[in-house]
Amino acid sequence: MRRLRLKTGAVIGAAALTMGAAIINPATAQTRVTVGATETISSHNPHGDSISMGYGIWCQVYGCLGYFDFASGAYKGMLAERWETDSKDPNVWTFYLRKGLKRQVDGKELTSADVIHSFWRMKNDKQSRQTQNVKHVAKTEAIDKYTVRVTTKKPTAPLLEFLFDRVMITGKDLYDKHGARTADRKYPYGWGPYKLKKIDIGQRIVLEKDPSNPWAKASMPDELIFRVMRESEQRVTALLNNEVQIAQFIPPHLANRVSKAKNANLVPTSSVELMFLAMSPKFKPWDNPVLRKAVCHAINRDGIIKAILKDQAQRLDAPIGPGQYGYDPKAAAAMKVDYNVAKAKAMIEKAGLKGTKVALSTPVGRYVNDKQVTESMIPMLKAIGLDASLKTPEWPTLWANVQKGKVPFYYMGRGGVVDPSPAFAQYFETGGSPRIGFSSKKVDALLQQERATFDPEKRKAVLNQAFAEIVKAQPACFMWRHKLLYGISKKVAYKPTPTGRIWGSDIVVK
Amino acid sequence: MLHYITRRILGTIPVIILISLLVFMLVQFAPGDPADLLLSDEATPEDIAAARERWGLNQPVYVQYWKFLVAALQGDLGTSFRYADPVLHMIGDRLPATIELAAVAIFIAVIIGVPLGVWAGARPNSWVDNVGSFFGFFGISMPSFWFGIMMILIVSGFLNLLPSAGRNTYGIADDPITGFYILDSLLHWNWKAVWDGLSYIILPAIALGTNMLGILMRVTRSSVLEVMHEDLVRTARAKGLSERRVLWRHAVRNALIPIITVVGLELGTLLSGSIIVETVFSWPGSGFLLIEAINSRDYPLITGTVLAYTLMFVVINLTIDILYAAIDPRIRFGK
Repeated sequence: MRRLRLKTGAVIGAAALTMGAAIINPATAQTRVTVGATETISSHNPHGDSISMGYGIWCQVYGCLGYFDFASGAYKGMLAERWETDSKDPNVWTFYLRKGLKRQVDGKELTSADVIHSFWRMKNDKQSRQTQNVKHVAKTEAIDKYTVRVTTKKPTAPLLEFLFDRVMITGKDLYDKHGARTADRKYPYGWGPYKLKKIDIGQRIVLEKDPSNPWAKASMPDELIFRVMRESEQRVTALLNNEVQIAQFIPPHLANRVSKAKNANLVPTSSVELMFLAMSPKFKPWDNPVLRKAVCHAINRDGIIKAILKDQAQRLDAPIGPGQYGYDPKAAAAMKVDYNVAKAKAMIEKAGLKGTKVALSTPVGRYVNDKQVTESMIPMLKAIGLDASLKTPEWPTLWANVQKGKVPFYYMGRGGVVDPSPAFAQYFETGGSPRIGFSSKKVDALLQQERATFDPEKRKAVLNQAFAEIVKAQPACFMWRHKLLYGISKKVAYKPTPTGRIWGSDIVVK
Repeated sequence: MLHYITRRILGTIPVIILISLLVFMLVQFAPGDPADLLLSDEATPEDIAAARERWGLNQPVYVQYWKFLVAALQGDLGTSFRYADPVLHMIGDRLPATIELAAVAIFIAVIIGVPLGVWAGARPNSWVDNVGSFFGFFGISMPSFWFGIMMILIVSGFLNLLPSAGRNTYGIADDPITGFYILDSLLHWNWKAVWDGLSYIILPAIALGTNMLGILMRVTRSSVLEVMHEDLVRTARAKGLSERRVLWRHAVRNALIPIITVVGLELGTLLSGSIIVETVFSWPGSGFLLIEAINSRDYPLITGTVLAYTLMFVVINLTIDILYAAIDPRIRFGK
């Protein structure tokens, strides 16, 4: 009797596990692709977040004016068919909308009124965390039903960097009729290729393809699910289990597990996040340029990339790298700071800085192997005669202090640098932000000049002059850009983008 | 009894106010500003100043606390900075997931830990005792986050038996009724969703309940061991009752008081443990929410969630005290 009970228990247990196993592979449905994502949007409001993945999701649902195409290295239109700047007034931009674009569910046509409303909402919605994207815009006007004129406060050549795939175009009529909250929750209809099916905040976001949309291709997944999986171990396990088909941001130490898997591939892509060591000249001893230069010579970037980052990073010779707007290989080669311990040591001794105490602050767990990377920098700094130590405050504390300009020496990343103009103005232009405490009239003038230069070639040249000035003063040592590693199921073809946004239109279900 | 319960409930009010004050002050004085953390990298100092103004962070802390307290007394815990949703609503959304996880963890701990402890206590130094003790020590000494990650690696990764993270599979469940996924699926007679819910909850519940299982096993063992030497057991045996009846009807019943005390005490530990386990398994409960709130310095959400946890502790302790009287008629309150 006892044996019989045990047997029955074992059979029930096995059946339960088998049934459990049978239903955990929902992604085997032919056209459902699930992404194991590290970020999540935190509200139904398309302007309520300012995170890369959020911009990508909302752009696919509501639609945005355009996006940066990494394959061609140029901006491409989405809801805007084309755009131009006024030859007489560099503050005036005109955007021509695609005609006949029908909104999901109710078929309402896209008009200038929707675009103008979206600019207004982005700026004035109390929940908006995207006001910085429209800060250069002085006014928006409808020229006709399909043409919008945007006037900037000052000539702003990199305006598209702020607007494209960042300004979501929401329906004015729905907002006027239902108010923001109801419109966002009950009527999230847009002109993008995916309809918003469900948001379980903190858990998942479900998008459903709108087959009637002009950007909806047959090869795209019918359902695109973003599942929040913060732990890298979880994302890898879920990928190997077929729970997800795309696993974002695989850390180097788990890369082998994915590359050896039978059902998945490891796909690297370069990122547009610049990693750097900031040295604020506002503080002593960092006001001494000799110290800053010596530090840049002391760091063995190639060694760190090989040993700690397992070759999953691209060294930065200039402030930016290949694929980013304005990158010039010749100019970059001229800006390269070599690894030269003897030179750095001599500089420190000559300047009487031997034994100077410096404390490097680093986030922990925010960037790939950040703590290990900075730990390895300490003996390098000691080797040139500095009394170096490492500080590892928790991220909210460190970031708040960096934002207020209270940290003299830190390791940090700046993401989303497609066109470097906003990032460099933020860090290196006087008044841009207190983060790095750097101020140079020459750099200020060059950054202002590049923003007012609309000819792309001339603008790139001015940008490189600004980069050269920054490298000369070295308020920061530019380190590398991490390669973003993605685990991709073999049932799916997908080429990840450097921004971390995931577009359903780039996914092909095999 | 009613007088006792009323007195206890009234006694919790100052505790809750004090805790709210403590949490409010701690989060306010912790380094890190919500505006810096929640706005984009590209936010200008003007954007940050506007956000601080909007969220009332420019006001003196005592004014902020007073406003919070007055609103809380009216049932309004404020609006989350990050999610822009009422805090009470958010906690209400997430709490069922935490309670569901804790309930299954307790269930696992009790149905395994108590019988194991009873058997071990009834047969000291036998193989049952040794095996039980092994499990007991294993449970007590195993950190839940490490055990959770190991289970993800082995059960989900290597054996591919159960899902690694989340609460359910999209598209299987019907509309929620209570917010408790498994219960709702049962109410809908949706057996596929029931199995789905169980498959997701097993690993986090084991990770969360293992520590409690170990403690329960050890406490039950010593409690049973003690009772087995008491007169009541000798009397039961003298009456000619079977050993099984003596053990389960007489010894175990009398050994229950310390077990229930431990369950009560451990419920609190279980709730705090859920914060870690929910993070490891991406379980969308209030613990996961609290971690996210702390990381973004979402003051109203941190305060609201901690208050919700405080209330749960108070209710659990009260319930346990009342249960004592139900189990042991010798205990009378207020005398």
